[in-house]
Amino acid sequence: MNAAPPDEMVDGRGHVRPHWRGILAAFSDLPPSLTAEAAPRGSAVIEAARRLDRAFEDEGVGALLPGAGRAGRAWRCDPVPLVLPAGEFAALAAGLAQRARLLEALLLDFYGPQRLLAEGLVPPALVFANPAFLRPCRSAAHPPQAPLLHTYAADLIRAPDGRWHVLADRTSRAAGIGHAQENRRMLGRVLPNLFRGQQVTPLRPFFDFWQDSLQRLAPPKAQNGSDNAAVALLTPGVHHPLWFEHVLLASALSCALVEPGDLTVRGGALFLKTLKGLQPVDVLLRRVDGRNLDPLEFGGPQGGLGGVPGLLDAMRNGAVRIVNAPGCGMVEAPALGPFLPALAERLLGERLALPAVESHWLAQPEALAMLRRAPADWTIRPAFDGALAAQPLAQLSDGALAGQLARIAERPQDYVAVRDIPPSVAPSAVGDGLAPRPVVLRLFLVQEGGQWRAMPGGLARSPEPGEGLAARLPRQGTAKDVWVLSEDGTQITGPAALPLPPLPIRRAAGALPSRVADNLFWLGRYVERLEGAARLMRAVLARLDRGPLLPRELAELDALAAALRHAGLAEAEDLPNAAAHSALQAALWRALREGGTVAWLTGEIGRLVESVRDRLTGDMHTLFSLPLRAIQLQAAAPPRGLAGLEDILGSILRYCAGVAGAAAENMVRAGGYAFLDLGRRVERGQTIAAQLGFALDQPASRIEGGLRLALELCDSVITYRSRYLGVLQPAPALDLVLADPGNPRGLGYQLAALRRRLTDLEGGDEAGLLPAVEALIDTVDAIPRALLAAGDQAQAAARLAPRIAALEADMAAISDAIARRFFALLPPAQRLGVEPAAEPAVLFWGAA
Amino acid sequence: MRWRIRHATAYRYAEPVDIATHMLHLSPRALPQQQVLWDRVACAPEPARVASDIDHFGNRVTWLFLDRPHARFEVVAEAEIEVAFPPPPPVGASLPWEEVARAAARDAGAAEFTLPSPLLPEHAGARDYVAQSFWPGRPLLAGLLDLNARIRRDFTFRAGVTSIGTTVGQLLAQRAGVCQDFSQLMICGLRGLGLPARYVSGYIRTRPPPGGAARLGADQSHAWVGAWLGPALGWIDLDPTNDLVVQEEHVVLGWGRDFNDISPLRGIILGGGQHALEVSVDLSPA
Repeated sequence: MNAAPPDEMVDGRGHVRPHWRGILAAFSDLPPSLTAEAAPRGSAVIEAARRLDRAFEDEGVGALLPGAGRAGRAWRCDPVPLVLPAGEFAALAAGLAQRARLLEALLLDFYGPQRLLAEGLVPPALVFANPAFLRPCRSAAHPPQAPLLHTYAADLIRAPDGRWHVLADRTSRAAGIGHAQENRRMLGRVLPNLFRGQQVTPLRPFFDFWQDSLQRLAPPKAQNGSDNAAVALLTPGVHHPLWFEHVLLASALSCALVEPGDLTVRGGALFLKTLKGLQPVDVLLRRVDGRNLDPLEFGGPQGGLGGVPGLLDAMRNGAVRIVNAPGCGMVEAPALGPFLPALAERLLGERLALPAVESHWLAQPEALAMLRRAPADWTIRPAFDGALAAQPLAQLSDGALAGQLARIAERPQDYVAVRDIPPSVAPSAVGDGLAPRPVVLRLFLVQEGGQWRAMPGGLARSPEPGEGLAARLPRQGTAKDVWVLSEDGTQITGPAALPLPPLPIRRAAGALPSRVADNLFWLGRYVERLEGAARLMRAVLARLDRGPLLPRELAELDALAAALRHAGLAEAEDLPNAAAHSALQAALWRALREGGTVAWLTGEIGRLVESVRDRLTGDMHTLFSLPLRAIQLQAAAPPRGLAGLEDILGSILRYCAGVAGAAAENMVRAGGYAFLDLGRRVERGQTIAAQLGFALDQPASRIEGGLRLALELCDSVITYRSRYLGVLQPAPALDLVLADPGNPRGLGYQLAALRRRLTDLEGGDEAGLLPAVEALIDTVDAIPRALLAAGDQAQAAARLAPRIAALEADMAAISDAIARRFFALLPPAQRLGVEPAAEPAVLFWGAA
Repeated sequence: MRWRIRHATAYRYAEPVDIATHMLHLSPRALPQQQVLWDRVACAPEPARVASDIDHFGNRVTWLFLDRPHARFEVVAEAEIEVAFPPPPPVGASLPWEEVARAAARDAGAAEFTLPSPLLPEHAGARDYVAQSFWPGRPLLAGLLDLNARIRRDFTFRAGVTSIGTTVGQLLAQRAGVCQDFSQLMICGLRGLGLPARYVSGYIRTRPPPGGAARLGADQSHAWVGAWLGPALGWIDLDPTNDLVVQEEHVVLGWGRDFNDISPLRGIILGGGQHALEVSVDLSPA
């Protein structure tokens, strides 16, 4: 019943279309195999696909989140782009620009005088039953502040008649634009040869244009005092499925990446909470649903507390421009589609240039009867939520179809019927060669001063078989880069030669948001805690490896087991006895596996690395996250005895060293690095204090063993031997691990580093932080001196254990003081109404 | 009739509130039948910012922003109002209810109030209860007056047994509640029949006139129902708590789809711990 889908590459007579010849030639020029191994025929494309997969995996595009189960890539990128000739793209861009103008006009009416309702051109239910119509964004007294739409995206398919048809409008957030850019970047990096001799329009000028247009959206009374507007991209945070795209976009547009908790409204203006105080924000590029922007105005008495209280007031006040304006999503409603041609004539005086896939709102008379006559011709979409999946009726069994039709007949106003037409097909890398795959095209537009400009590219994707088209971007799928070819080679020049207006000088990234500092601090702590755990476990392992233990070694193992328990790496019943160490070995495995302390740490580190991703270079991100995933996989494998444990602990220690080295060598000292290092020093100080406490918890007769263990745990055996030629005495040993500011594995060094960082940071001297650190330095300095003065060093050292263990609490107090000083710890938010609240809900903020 | 209103609200917090944002629907809206002679909103401590606007429904909204720590927050809204509600049209003048429902779906001003809303989702029980007053072809106003009287008869006014979160279903089960519950039942049921109904927030006379019966729901804000009689006759206000057609003992603050749209006060505070609330409303002839 449906005509065969058209082929993007091959015309009706079996000839390759001219605009595909270049890319086909480029693929045939690729060496058949880029590796030395023999490969099957057609393997150039497959090899390219494999390399792209690997590159995306290395970048960790599929976010690494707590629970290793979710590791893996969310999206593949096909090596074969979708190619569009310049003329065809220009027509699409013009058609979509017209559509964007129409949707803007609709929004201005719906959020303004609502004349279209009074005139009967739009059924009132399409506005008032639409959950994306946000009443707090409309005033009965004055029109909204244009423009409402700043970015617009549309999904298109090429129908059997050969013309592109609009399938869905995206007016809320235009998701996918960052992915499109990333696909292009990766394709260029991994397969540069593909682009050779091709006239592919570059994307960068579009992002420059977008960046400038965001600047110009700043309210005139921007309180900045400079010509530069502060632009921020608002993301729901690291748990959002499109987090990575938000990171990419913020970087492409050179704007701050912020979460609702980073922002506060004061005096009708919006501010970012940074270490240097409140910094104004003039333009907010919103990636958060409008309903989650301001808890004061959205959500009833039981509503959530997410968002920024007062943000809508700041917007109405003209102090901040939010794009797209909250509420724009309402014109995504599929039920509006059938009315658009008439509305274009009425509002623009124009006919729609670009056809849309035929659709009918089933509340309209006759529509239901039409659907009943040939249900298999139609796909059903919800009337309002354009992000929900569409359901092709042809896929339903007879029974299911009858049930669905009955549901529709009961509430026809909730559904839209969209004609089920197969999209065109384009070549994709499948199996061991190229195969035609259906393709849906998403194009993106940005406007400035009423002029819409389309990104010369886009996000094409191959829907999975049976996937209802027109829904939100799925979590997984196969994407394609979109190439817009220029017919005129002179157009393809570097961005520098394009007649762009001079770019304004932009402020550097500027002050560090408090939340980012908080996350970096905890990242530093957790990486250090992971390293400490691995060192301790390895020390235990070395003793399990041996045969029967001497009494001295058993005493050491007791101390180590106590330290393990203290660190949450073992339970009381795991404690060793002379006969069996198997319980301890099992405990070490447990700590590594799901639910264990080490597994928890790697999950938290993964989450924190993701959440500070916009502060890391791509290489650093790879270095911070990729080995972590390998460790998680290793730990999840079946137990392989002591050797297996040894391997994993080795991986962990290499990872921690890699992170420390990369951070020290690559991060600018001011700002972020300081907090990463503060976290590391505080944590290491606590670990040293705790472990020394256990090591020295010995009777005076055994103190020598305790000292040996202390040196081992602080990785200071060699240093001690070279200084003191193996004569083990309490005062010099404790000087090395407690007081010596030159030993990076000793406590004194951590305290000296803390003092240095806090002195560098503005405000470190406040809140009594520096004095507290200095006092602690004096305390640890005094310990070896007192030992020297004591008559019997062994007796004196044996009494020291509790005092040293208490230093752990002192370090913890410094950690708390850092958090209080630098990370805005907010009191819990709660909702007030005309009735006393039951239990105040708590708004968590920050990392820990 | 001329009224003087004083509506005072005080929150006391167990711990200081660092930052507070409040949204108020406490300023009466001007209507053909209601003239606002003067009004003011005063608050303590002095807010850092005050903003006001007209909302989607045409109600007056005020926002207050406080950014200094405070342990107590007080708002006093005062106004002087002249009300003169026209008498209801004769029952026979209103259209059969089915015709009004058909017209409502197309009417830009009324259609919104035929739809379910966040606090008032569709409820078959409410629809069935209301439908008993609307047999085929019955003039809408006759049905409305009957319904108004039935609710007064079938339900008991009892403060403290319901809250903002009480649903229509719970009310139907327990048969007791306050003005808000009765209004919600009526609105929900009318919408179930496709008839426009809105939630009206305001006040009712505190002290009865000599010899008159005391009115219920006087100690706090009052709520009742606006019902649409069709394009020609427009809206009429009915108070199911007192089985009254609203005339001159009520003062309108504003209206919305349900309580959420027109809540007199709402806010988000940071800090505060537990809080205590005191409200006093005084409506007296001026």
